[in-house]
Amino acid sequence: MSAGEPRETNPKIEQAGASDESIQQVHSILLREKPEPTESKLPMPLFMLGFISAMVLTVAIYFVHNSGGFSPMVYDERFDPKNAPGSTQEVKADPVAQGKKLYASVCAACHQPTGAGVASVYPPLAKSEWVNGTEEHVIRILLNGLTGPVKVAGANFNSTMPVIGPGGYNFTDEKIAYVLTYVRQEWGNNAPPVTPDKVKEIRTQAAAGRSTPWTAAELEAIK
Amino acid sequence: MNRAPLIFLGIFFTLAFSWTGIVLSNQLSYGKLQPITDETENKSYPELLPGLAAQGKLVYQDLGCIYCHSQQVRRPGFGADDKRGWGDRQSVARDYIREGRVLLGTMRTGPDLRNIGARQTSRDWHMLHLYDPQITSKGSIMAPFPFLFEKHKIVGQSSPKAIKLPAPYTAEAGYEIVPTPRAEALVAYLQSLKDTYAYPETKNVFVEPIAGTKKENQK
Amino acid sequence: MATAPSLVASFDPTSSPDLVKRAELSEIDASTKIPVLFFLCSAVLWLLVGTAFALISSFKLHTPSFLGDIEWLTFGRARTAHLNSVIYGWSVNAAFAVAFWLMARLSRSVLRHSGLLMIAGAFWNIGVTIGIVGILAGDSTSIEWLEIPPYATPLLFVAYAFVGAWALITFRFGKSGHIYVSQWYLLAALFWFPWLYSVAQIMLILEPARGTVQALVNWWFAHNVLGLWFTPIGLAAAYYFIPKVLGKPIHSYYLSVLGFWSLALFYNWAGVHHLIGGPVPAWVISAGIAASFMMAIPVVVVGINHHMTMVGNFSALKYSPTLRFIVFGAVSYTITSLIGSVMADRQVSEVVHFTHFTVAHAHQGMYAFFTMVMFGSIYYILPRILLKEWPSAMLISVHFWTVSVGITVYVVALSIGGIKQGLEMNNADIPFLQVVANTIPYLLSRSMSGILITIGHLAFAVNFTWMLLRPRAAQKTAPTLFRTPPEMEVVR
Repeated sequence: MSAGEPRETNPKIEQAGASDESIQQVHSILLREKPEPTESKLPMPLFMLGFISAMVLTVAIYFVHNSGGFSPMVYDERFDPKNAPGSTQEVKADPVAQGKKLYASVCAACHQPTGAGVASVYPPLAKSEWVNGTEEHVIRILLNGLTGPVKVAGANFNSTMPVIGPGGYNFTDEKIAYVLTYVRQEWGNNAPPVTPDKVKEIRTQAAAGRSTPWTAAELEAIK
Repeated sequence: MNRAPLIFLGIFFTLAFSWTGIVLSNQLSYGKLQPITDETENKSYPELLPGLAAQGKLVYQDLGCIYCHSQQVRRPGFGADDKRGWGDRQSVARDYIREGRVLLGTMRTGPDLRNIGARQTSRDWHMLHLYDPQITSKGSIMAPFPFLFEKHKIVGQSSPKAIKLPAPYTAEAGYEIVPTPRAEALVAYLQSLKDTYAYPETKNVFVEPIAGTKKENQK
Repeated sequence: MATAPSLVASFDPTSSPDLVKRAELSEIDASTKIPVLFFLCSAVLWLLVGTAFALISSFKLHTPSFLGDIEWLTFGRARTAHLNSVIYGWSVNAAFAVAFWLMARLSRSVLRHSGLLMIAGAFWNIGVTIGIVGILAGDSTSIEWLEIPPYATPLLFVAYAFVGAWALITFRFGKSGHIYVSQWYLLAALFWFPWLYSVAQIMLILEPARGTVQALVNWWFAHNVLGLWFTPIGLAAAYYFIPKVLGKPIHSYYLSVLGFWSLALFYNWAGVHHLIGGPVPAWVISAGIAASFMMAIPVVVVGINHHMTMVGNFSALKYSPTLRFIVFGAVSYTITSLIGSVMADRQVSEVVHFTHFTVAHAHQGMYAFFTMVMFGSIYYILPRILLKEWPSAMLISVHFWTVSVGITVYVVALSIGGIKQGLEMNNADIPFLQVVANTIPYLLSRSMSGILITIGHLAFAVNFTWMLLRPRAAQKTAPTLFRTPPEMEVVR
């Protein structure tokens, strides 16, 4: 309260004092009020310091322990990216499962979901000596295509298989490897899987620069 | 504490501190979250809502569905979300990055709906359920939404969109109950709700060490 | 209290410094009359509107066919209209009224430029009205606590701009050197609220944040409206009225300082506990849980401060309506906040998250704490600005008992029901519809408690209106108390 300030008679109180009863009213409300609140300066109880320290310690430990290494990609608070084994490795894709999806999306239209092909038009892949044969052949077929007469499982075919690799369907080395791995173990076929590295090796070295489809004769010359 | 400027500074700082820590830091780190293109399926996940479903989401908001239904699956072992068939993995942040308005919800007066599209594929079931939940789920406390449907006089053939209500809801002879566009949109939205893609971060899950392994034996 | 001076002596303002202070207070009260009355009348009207929507929503939840054909009242909209009318209608208007009256008194300065506050109040109420009509029409944003459609929110901003302008001017004119604890809380609340609301509007509606960052913004905002707007105003009122009615000082200034700053620091981070188990990084959830645990510190500190001030004076609760409502509120604050800290534990959250337990908790905070404190404040403030007494002690009694029993039944019923619901929901052997059916008795209890609370609100509204309308002359000069305390047997 600034005690030094001059105070003229408050007109409001005088107005309020117009009638005896309202003076009583104003004054009794004012008078019965206790003074404005103040704060006493009692010190903080000591146990508060202990309580606060205990809280800070336990909660800090809880926080650090349950934060998943503070990684924004961790949603399970118990998981620690540093300790979990193999957590940073990508789980390997299953080539056969991936190959199956790829086959369905691109190859099945001609070679059929059963791998039986269409008589005289599209060769079968089931029990095909080409599919079960050396990977040197099948990889080249997907990379550059195949044209001209070819004998498959005792039947003759003469059409053009489009490029599945770069320049055609643009399959990556992985995709070519996966789809070949798939067909080489499906429908009674039994040939070893194809690796992406092998596809890359053929694409960048042995068959590098090839831009025309292979013929059956050319492939048979390659062992 | 008599210096107002200091009090003001403290008040400002505490708010700024929490906003920076909770909101800003995550907005920045979420920037690295992009949709994943699955090369095999040639699709990117999470998927964008198809047009009708996007309209249906507005109906979902308009009717306040969020106040009884959540859209977030908790991890297996925390609650029974997986056992109830509500989802087989915890919802992750990436599941929502393409949503204009995220409707996580905080109440499960009704079941979680994050994967309702995978769980309940029947349009007819949804239509009956919305018309009056008692038809498909006796004892449900969900509100009925008869105003999402209209009664039409059958002129010539009945509409293929008409829904077949059981007694005592069946329309009288010569009339059929047809969903309004709002109902169609809402059902399309519900059918679009499925988070099935396995992003890399969904593998960041704590695995209990198997009893008898080296780690256990070292204890 | 000092012996009553003679009438003539008390007429002269310079007769004693104590009376000078009191004359000044009278002047200050008179200056606050119009704006405070405006906000209080708005608040009471909104309370009745909000209570109506509350009853409708509560009935619908156990009897979904109730008014089931009316699209405007479908549960998702009625419940949202309830929340927005009790929060932005009743609670904010009451908060403004109490805050402005307290600010004027504590700054020891006459409230000037009340026109600014009146304009603010008009914009605010129009904005909320349009917002609620919009929600009923289906334009809700579906963002919790921010559902008012974007065409109405600019009005709320204009309103607050006027409040802000007024606050800056008023505090500049403050005369007292010492800033009392209530003023820290009021200043903080008045500063925090517009920032929270603005950031939420920007990051959720204007330029929506990425994915579940929206959820983080949403719950940073909504929980902070509770913790950094309503809680400080409620505490400011409790810190004023408890010592004021008793005539005792607050127990410890140092505890007040600790309580204020720990609240400011920890409450800010607690909001993330609404997302436990959710699709946000685990570390930020743990931060929210940690802050929620740490909230026990300010809550215990404030509890000690209030309790030690009350100690030896609990008998005053027999007489003073103000004190009874405020102490009920303050005790509820302690209980509900400690329950909140426990709810943040992950194992507890696993059970109670998504259940009616959280609804019970929210109502314990906003009603058993905040609303009861507002009632107590209004019972004190209104006689001083109207210079009349409350017409009926019986109505005050009816009000107190119906709402205190009502909210207790509400909280207990939904807490038990919520725990049961959560435990059953976590047991996949129990079909979901069975879990729902098992909650019905608790939902029915909630509706009964709602009827009790409604009666209380009607009693309050009747008393309020009667007091406004009755002429000043036909008065008694004694305060309207529950019973006459011994020292007041003889009316002065």
